[in-house]
Amino acid sequence: MTSLRIFFVGGLISFRALFNWLSPWIYVPSLLVAPIVQILLFAYMGRAAGQESDAFYVIGNAVQYSAIPCLFAMANTVAGERWTQTLGIVLVTPANRVALFLGRSLPVVVNGFIVSMFSLVVGGLLLGVRFPAASWLPLALIVGIAAVSCTGLGLANAALGLRVRETAVMSNVLFGLLLIFSGANIPVDALPGWMESVSRWLPLTHAIEAAREVAAGATLAAVSGLIGRELMLGVVYGAAGLVALRLLEAEGRRRATLEIQ
Amino acid sequence: MVRTNFAGMVPVPSGRPVVRAHDLRRSYRTRAGTFRRERKEVEAVRGVSFDIERGELFGLLGPNGAGKTTTIKMLITLLLPTGGSAEVLGHDVVADAREVRRHIGYVFGGDRGLYERLSALDNLRYFAELYGVPPREQRQRIGELVEMVGLTGREKERVEGFSRGMRQRLHIARGLLHDPEVLFLDEPTIGIDPVGARELRGTIATLREQGKTILLTTHYMFEADELCDRIAVIRGGEIVAEGTPADLKQRVTAGHVVEVETFGLPETSVDAVRLLDGVRSAAVEERGQAQVLIVQVRPGAEVTSLVLGSLDGVNVGRVSSREPTLEDAYVELVSAEPAGAPA
Amino acid sequence: MRVLRLVAVSYWLHLKMIAVSVFEGVFQVIWPIYFATVAFLLYGRSDEPGVLVYAGLGAAVMGIWSVVTTTASGLLQRERWLGTLELLVASPTRFALVLVPITTAMASLGLFSLVSTLLWAWLLFGITVPVASPLAFVVSILVSVFSVALLGFLLSVAVVRYRTAWAMGNLLEYPGWLLCGFLVPLTLFPSWVSWISYALPPTWGMQAIRASAHGESPWLDVVMCLLVGLVYGVVGALLSETVLRSARRHATLSLT
Repeated sequence: MTSLRIFFVGGLISFRALFNWLSPWIYVPSLLVAPIVQILLFAYMGRAAGQESDAFYVIGNAVQYSAIPCLFAMANTVAGERWTQTLGIVLVTPANRVALFLGRSLPVVVNGFIVSMFSLVVGGLLLGVRFPAASWLPLALIVGIAAVSCTGLGLANAALGLRVRETAVMSNVLFGLLLIFSGANIPVDALPGWMESVSRWLPLTHAIEAAREVAAGATLAAVSGLIGRELMLGVVYGAAGLVALRLLEAEGRRRATLEIQ
Repeated sequence: MVRTNFAGMVPVPSGRPVVRAHDLRRSYRTRAGTFRRERKEVEAVRGVSFDIERGELFGLLGPNGAGKTTTIKMLITLLLPTGGSAEVLGHDVVADAREVRRHIGYVFGGDRGLYERLSALDNLRYFAELYGVPPREQRQRIGELVEMVGLTGREKERVEGFSRGMRQRLHIARGLLHDPEVLFLDEPTIGIDPVGARELRGTIATLREQGKTILLTTHYMFEADELCDRIAVIRGGEIVAEGTPADLKQRVTAGHVVEVETFGLPETSVDAVRLLDGVRSAAVEERGQAQVLIVQVRPGAEVTSLVLGSLDGVNVGRVSSREPTLEDAYVELVSAEPAGAPA
Repeated sequence: MRVLRLVAVSYWLHLKMIAVSVFEGVFQVIWPIYFATVAFLLYGRSDEPGVLVYAGLGAAVMGIWSVVTTTASGLLQRERWLGTLELLVASPTRFALVLVPITTAMASLGLFSLVSTLLWAWLLFGITVPVASPLAFVVSILVSVFSVALLGFLLSVAVVRYRTAWAMGNLLEYPGWLLCGFLVPLTLFPSWVSWISYALPPTWGMQAIRASAHGESPWLDVVMCLLVGLVYGVVGALLSETVLRSARRHATLSLT
């Protein structure tokens, strides 16, 4: 019960505390306008190169852009607290670590979902892409799962936040890798062989593939394998992140790197 | 005497003050609340007037938030006055801002205001350019200043590794790059260790000897006493007293001071002491565990027993009587109820 | 003469500062390379001849735009944090002359990005960009850098009132990439959109760079690029005086 409370209430409170800078002045340009323009950028490149359809780029970039809120927000829950010097206070509480960090990831997932869905709807409208009415519900489910698995990667990234100071740079690096490897703009099977095998081990790749198939009329059952794989990758990254947080916390205590000054 | 500087001759008519503030006022509008924005007007400076003569070191003394920095920022053209006027070297600070900037130096306390990632030398070079110091004179001028503030040997290091005292000295050098006629020093010794602060005061005294006109703000009384030719005490945005350090001392030398060491002094007792006959003012100073009640006594009055009587029930330690100091004058000035100001 | 020296010294010192910051420096270079890589992979699937050279040149110039839009918007905020903003304003030098060298230093960082993107294109994708008239090519690039810097100057003073000004960079980076003809030919857009494109200096700069690479005359585009940039500069200079006056009135210079 206590862990459950830490999970929900603690998560929401810390998210709000760390994101009080997330005003409309930041949210609108960074999380609503930017993904739309990213969609337009690649869709027009696709048109210029005569490759793939507009729907391909709308789905690919809408899902991939959830990496920004998921990676940054998760990294911030750790690095940001180190800045405000509250990390030490949080870590000396006897709260269950898994509940603590997973609780923090819940609002992040919701936010990532919102960003992706918004981009999907508005990007589709701008480019005149129509998804069949029946595909919206499964699309939403897949987008949600993508946000979960990307947040899993975000948790691993956040663990690094205990070691390096420039987590924003790390988040950007991961975002860029996902841009290239997740198949958002180039079909994964059109990538060189070694790149394709990297893609298969990254979050988002399978979700993007599943979303495209569903939008083209496939049923959820038909893409269940892809969805399962996506979810599994998210869990693996998330678990790795939790373990790393544990190890780094112990090491941080030994080497006094938890607090900045 | 007319001094020259890099920007050319500075023709200030003789007999006219170098800095003149006339009924200077500044109010701020603050907004509170996210949804219902409440506008509040705060008057930081309410009608300040003073003149500073050539070569004078003038001190603006007052507690934090008294309006010292606001006053200085109006004089150096960073803030527009909301009322009154001011001129520096005959130039109006509003209409002639650029001309004013050319001839003044500005140094503020604290460790900000430097480019951390540049060396001390590069910081100085940059500002030398911004102040239009001729290239031919730059090298020599910077060398002299680095030596004067005692940074020789460290000038090629990046500022991020500098101590507070070193940064402050670099600030002084920066403020002097264009050999300004008038210097504005805003709490320059704040946050520096006592040795560094003393060195800095030495530097300021040297500048005064060189004939610079200086406006210094500080909330350290002894600093003002040691350095200033004239002091204006500012409180709640108004000047409450002005004169030489001796003048200010004069205000309280008649009479004496009774100090009572107490433990757990309630505010009501202080109020009671203030009402006693023969007491001019009373203030409390924290000293470790104790609160020291400082009572200014009118000449000829004898109040010690009355004071002790009104401290009934309070733990009393040492009681002593002494001659008044400048600090007493200052404490009296800044802790008295403002005369006409709204509470 | 004094102005030239002032600009040169300020430019050099600010460039030094930006370059010292490893993360700012390195990441500004890496960031456009991600997008360049996607563009190479994407255009690599097309059969049209010359399309990779088109993408290689465009991707290389993108970095100049991104470094300015993302860093110039936070310029005054950074000076404010450092506590130097008041000192810059208190100096007798015009604010425009203080700021333009700084944004030019920022834009110059885009040159690193340009070179590394071209190297990346060559090493990993075998894209070689033939440059028919090297002198015109270099001039086109330098004029582009300066024009974008002037736009950055306007940007830096235009957003000074927003506390979250740095986020404005996110708002401008992608649209510039989309609209300036770096990776997408302007002919694909509706005509009202190309009006926006031609109001942005990099559009002209990009045309000049492509023309000089192909051995055509870039000079009309170079002049247009410079003119459009100067318009931004003049508007920025006028705005900066207004902004400063307002800051002195409302006491928003220090915000300590």
